[in-house]
Amino acid sequence: MKISANKNTISVIILGILIILSLNFFQKPVKGFFYSISSPLQQNLWEMGDSLSDFMDGLINSKNIKFENEGLNQTVRELIAENLSLQELKKENETLREVLELGIQKEFRLALASVISKDISQDAVLINQGSKDGIVLGMPVITPQKALLGKVIEVYDNFSRVMLISNEASAFDAKVSQTGITGVIKGSGNLKISFDLVSQDKELIEGDLVVSSVLGGIYPQGLLVGTIKSVVKSDIKPFYEAEVSPMFKGADELKDVFIILNF
Amino acid sequence: MLGKILILALFFYFLVLLQTSFLVHFRIFGFALNFVFIAVVLINIFEKPQKYSGMAAAFIGGLFLDIFSAGVIGFNVLILVVLAFLLKTFFKKYVRLSIC
Repeated sequence: MKISANKNTISVIILGILIILSLNFFQKPVKGFFYSISSPLQQNLWEMGDSLSDFMDGLINSKNIKFENEGLNQTVRELIAENLSLQELKKENETLREVLELGIQKEFRLALASVISKDISQDAVLINQGSKDGIVLGMPVITPQKALLGKVIEVYDNFSRVMLISNEASAFDAKVSQTGITGVIKGSGNLKISFDLVSQDKELIEGDLVVSSVLGGIYPQGLLVGTIKSVVKSDIKPFYEAEVSPMFKGADELKDVFIILNF
Repeated sequence: MLGKILILALFFYFLVLLQTSFLVHFRIFGFALNFVFIAVVLINIFEKPQKYSGMAAAFIGGLFLDIFSAGVIGFNVLILVVLAFLLKTFFKKYVRLSIC
């Protein structure tokens, strides 16, 4: 009797292993099938969750809204002033381009996609554009505010998985836009990133804007990565690192993203 | 048994969809709770130690988590099945619940 029970247990374990192995062998069609049948429901759930979390955030943060509003109004006034001067510079730049015959500014070719789900354990999101839409592995993904989100790591027929820059497997070259200090942006998991391998003789200041660098060829240069939050210095190490506040405000709040098709 | 597996499969399919598309928006101290994990633990705690639905729940829950995540299929299955097995062993050896 006991032998037969053991046989049954062994058979179930072997069956389980076989199922897992065969699913891994046909991973792409299996995952693609489940994403296809689930995407309408996932899209609705994502939008519902997004609205509800916004509403709840509003309730929780209602005390800070007035204070934040004043700060934002001040920023808007400053930005309007800055914008006016930039428009002047733009006109001047356009005129100079025409004079120097540099041609039309080269822009990215973009594809619009919607986020439909997010991995629970890893910093990755699923978007509703796939190989049928011309998406291939490694394409950079940005937010509508041109903040760097990550790159495509898995491509299915109609869906793709995007590894966020906060994923622990993510590392790429970046620089501080104001000073040109170079380093490596590393993902620390749970939507956190750090600016590592910064030479000790360079000085980082909190609030410095970090942008992507063309070094390494992973991302185009000039995409917004984040701002320096705090600097961690150590006399023992030849380099130091800084915690960076990512420019994308949490993958939970993402809805529409752009995939850069060429750069 | 087949009916029970079908019910578990449907339950975990919708729970994983809810987890990855809806519940992921609500973070507590920066972390999103894994409700599939919680469901598997609860099923294993509240079923009779001699029964095996908890193990099936761990397998199916892990499978759907893997399907809707990046990486290989089997990672979450392994974690949840081992967890269910440990819970079962613990309850079989050390705990007697009158509710079972």
